[in-house]
Amino acid sequence: MTASQWHESFARTLVEHGVAPGEARRLADDSTEEAQAANMHPADLFGPATAYAATMARAARPAPLQSLTRTRGPVVLRLTGVTKRYRRHEVLRGVDLTLRAGEVAAVVGANGCGKSTLLDICAGATKATSGRVERSARIGYAPQQRGVAPYLTPDEHFRLFGAVHGMAARRAVATGAHLASGLGWLPRPGIVAGQLSGGTQQKLNVVLGELNRPDLILLDEPYQGFDQDSYLDLWTQVYAWRDAGAGVLVVTHLLHDLDRVDHVLELKATEDR
Amino acid sequence: MRQQWLHGFLDLCLLCLLLERRDYGVGLAQRLAHTGFGDIPGGTLYPSLLRLEKQGLVQAAWEASDVGPRRKYYELTSSGATAATERAQVWREFRDTMDRIAAPARTAPAEES
Repeated sequence: MTASQWHESFARTLVEHGVAPGEARRLADDSTEEAQAANMHPADLFGPATAYAATMARAARPAPLQSLTRTRGPVVLRLTGVTKRYRRHEVLRGVDLTLRAGEVAAVVGANGCGKSTLLDICAGATKATSGRVERSARIGYAPQQRGVAPYLTPDEHFRLFGAVHGMAARRAVATGAHLASGLGWLPRPGIVAGQLSGGTQQKLNVVLGELNRPDLILLDEPYQGFDQDSYLDLWTQVYAWRDAGAGVLVVTHLLHDLDRVDHVLELKATEDR
Repeated sequence: MRQQWLHGFLDLCLLCLLLERRDYGVGLAQRLAHTGFGDIPGGTLYPSLLRLEKQGLVQAAWEASDVGPRRKYYELTSSGATAATERAQVWREFRDTMDRIAAPARTAPAEES
């Protein structure tokens, strides 16, 4: 690979990792000049172009806002004795949770213990058999592997979901692109959702859930299929939403970082009870 | 193992070196090498500098040089200087704790003769 091929590959990979094209160009120019000044081939100075681009893209992401005093706001979600039965099969029994704005709750438990059902109930997509669900009006909902229309492009999703929240089309697309770049993803025009990888579809889901700056964000294992770095980015994003004043409910089965969340709701499979 | 540790402390190393004086990338790499950390690959050094720049702790500008090509010089911002002092203090506390824990292992067990 010649030096100029290396720099081209570096710039292209930066953009693929969600760095804005202008900034990618600046970073590529910088690396060209650094390599020339050191009189070295860029691969010798920086390593392989794609690996270096991935590292630089992560470093180039804007630092999440540090909020010194985290304020807990009003209750955005309250579950009181929520129970769900399908015929005689009981999926959830007597679930209680109070989540305030500025808090993160993690829902954990084995597969099949009703985590996704609980999230659907919180979102209002499924009705509880008994118990009470109170929540704020503006919610963002990123269910697992659902909610993406395979024949629409990401931009069309942004316009469609933006319209639901009364956003102008251009603003919805701009907001969607901005949120996507925060997850290290640059939606390419003309690619429909069905052609995206599973991990990228989940990123689209997360972006759609956050489009209207909701008070309550409900996420269902959105990092399934994310690579490890994106997974870490997602938790950074979860805490950024929290610090911006949203209440976040995350369904997870990885016990990473649970010491930082405010509430852990452990669901047990009903057979265990 | 040293390389992995250095990875975690590179940001602090750079803040401290820049607190001493502003420098360009190759100069920082040379100073790190001279103090005993060995060669730091550019693929590690420059992302670290970019991250510090994005955090507002460091600012960078290309400058002409009398002797050769332009160099990109890095220097601490005022919050960078504060961060260097604060983090160095945290490091000293961490080091003292680690020293206490590692004290029993200071002398190698006597070999049986």
